Amino acid sequence: MTEPALDITGLTVRYGAPRTAHGSSATPAVDGLDLRIPRGETVALLGPNGAGKSTTVNAVLGLVPHTGDVRVLGRPPAEAVRAGDVGAMLQHCGLPSEARVGEVLDLVRRSFPRSWPLDDLVVTTGIDGLLRRPVEDLSGGQRQRVLLALALAGRPPLLLLDEPTSAMDVEGRRAFWTTMRGLAEGGTTVVFATHHLEEADAVADRVVVVAGGRVVADGSAAQVKAGITGSTITFTAGPDAPLDGLPGVTALTRRGGTVELTTSDAEETLRALLAGGRRLPGLQVRGASLEEAVLTLTTATPIGALR
Amino acid sequence: MSTLFLFQLRRVGRNRQFLFFTVALPALFTVFFAKVFGQAADDGYGEYAAATMVSMMAYGAMGAALGATIRISFDRASGWLRQLRVTPVPTSSVVGVEVLVGVLLTLPALVVVALVGRLVNGVHLPPGTWLALVAVLWAGSAVFVALGLLLGLALEQKAAGGAMGIVATVLALLGGLWVPAELFPAGLQAVAHALPSYWYAELGRDVAGGDAPSAVAVAVLVAYAGIAGALAAAVARRRPLYAVAG
Repeated sequence: MTEPALDITGLTVRYGAPRTAHGSSATPAVDGLDLRIPRGETVALLGPNGAGKSTTVNAVLGLVPHTGDVRVLGRPPAEAVRAGDVGAMLQHCGLPSEARVGEVLDLVRRSFPRSWPLDDLVVTTGIDGLLRRPVEDLSGGQRQRVLLALALAGRPPLLLLDEPTSAMDVEGRRAFWTTMRGLAEGGTTVVFATHHLEEADAVADRVVVVAGGRVVADGSAAQVKAGITGSTITFTAGPDAPLDGLPGVTALTRRGGTVELTTSDAEETLRALLAGGRRLPGLQVRGASLEEAVLTLTTATPIGALR
Repeated sequence: MSTLFLFQLRRVGRNRQFLFFTVALPALFTVFFAKVFGQAADDGYGEYAAATMVSMMAYGAMGAALGATIRISFDRASGWLRQLRVTPVPTSSVVGVEVLVGVLLTLPALVVVALVGRLVNGVHLPPGTWLALVAVLWAGSAVFVALGLLLGLALEQKAAGGAMGIVATVLALLGGLWVPAELFPAGLQAVAHALPSYWYAELGRDVAGGDAPSAVAVAVLVAYAGIAGALAAAVARRRPLYAVAG
């Protein structure tokens, strides 16, 4: 039983899209991704929309055709799901109509070879009092909690979550992540996709940054954050303004008269810009967004440099 | 699988509209047609009442089989099929249960309409013929289970609901379930003879008349069931049950 929870080698997913103009020769959604997650880790897959996070999660569950090798607790994806080794909260998943919460939960619990005692599961996921409720009468937050209960129904050793908190309010998120920490302490391997740096930071032992269908950084939250603390400087300048060779600058874009610089050292860059009494109308300096940070990582940091 | 079967049955059972359209409506039609047209029928009341009852049994069972199985498109739209796919429930059980539920739900329509025919309209058949009639129409309903599954797997929720209504109406009307096909002009009769609904009711007419089901009827229904089933399987391969709707 020493197999990792997740062992992915060279995962590539191309969405054949015969109904759109793109065709199947479009850039792959996941492009040769390698990832190995030992048991017991809590791992965030962090990246902007379209980075390939959801596709990776879906491939791990055998929901998309792929090339490359995926092993879930030593088994192929579909087999691991059938064996009850994986619980998942995915996007586009939902609850059936004309059913009560308790009936749905009972059905799913019975499908697992071992199931979490009902009383405990209900308390853990905060759905006590909802069991007799028709599914149609649930609020958005309650619905998410029921979906979590379904994911946990078989007490699976591996939990996969794709943007699990997207429909939750602040209170709901806090309760959700408290539950996740409890599960992780109990030895469950938790892998979740998110585009919120804060969530990854607060919950994960390890953050895997995904962009363009590949792993572009992999390390502790602190390591990754250190690698992506860049800033963005914007100002107005004419098209001829000389901007080459500025210290710290990792990317430069001009939109009309607006110049946008991404820099790893805002102070040095500004000092150089302002040297010689240059005027910088409309100057703004702000911390890099995750998207910009990931862009920085993909262009400036060699893959795996943080690990 | 039995848990999923009971779960699915309970869900459909909650749907009052389903029960109304597949059981109550054909039963009401059975009484209505017999009372309004029966006395003036050329063959006499008895013949007409029996024929109407068989047609309405076929109509109710067809609607129940189509209506039960097409619900798979609703379960795709809600994301429930995708959710089931990440539990250990095998896909074969999901499809198997859909078929079983579809087959089972034709029975209330058949039995209730037969009872109404016997008790309200006074249709008289030997006891063995009653049993054979229900049995043969129950078995024959498999063709509409296959057709409903095909529509439910191939169409999106909104289209499926509409398609179900149209398909059931066209099959009932042109298949001679509402108005006997013998009264159709020649062209329309040819259309009726190409439809599974006509041959399905023909099974019932054969048995109610004390004969064995005709070989043509059986052959046509088997062919339709086989084609619809094969197409449903092909659609499911191209677009798995867990595929996102839309």
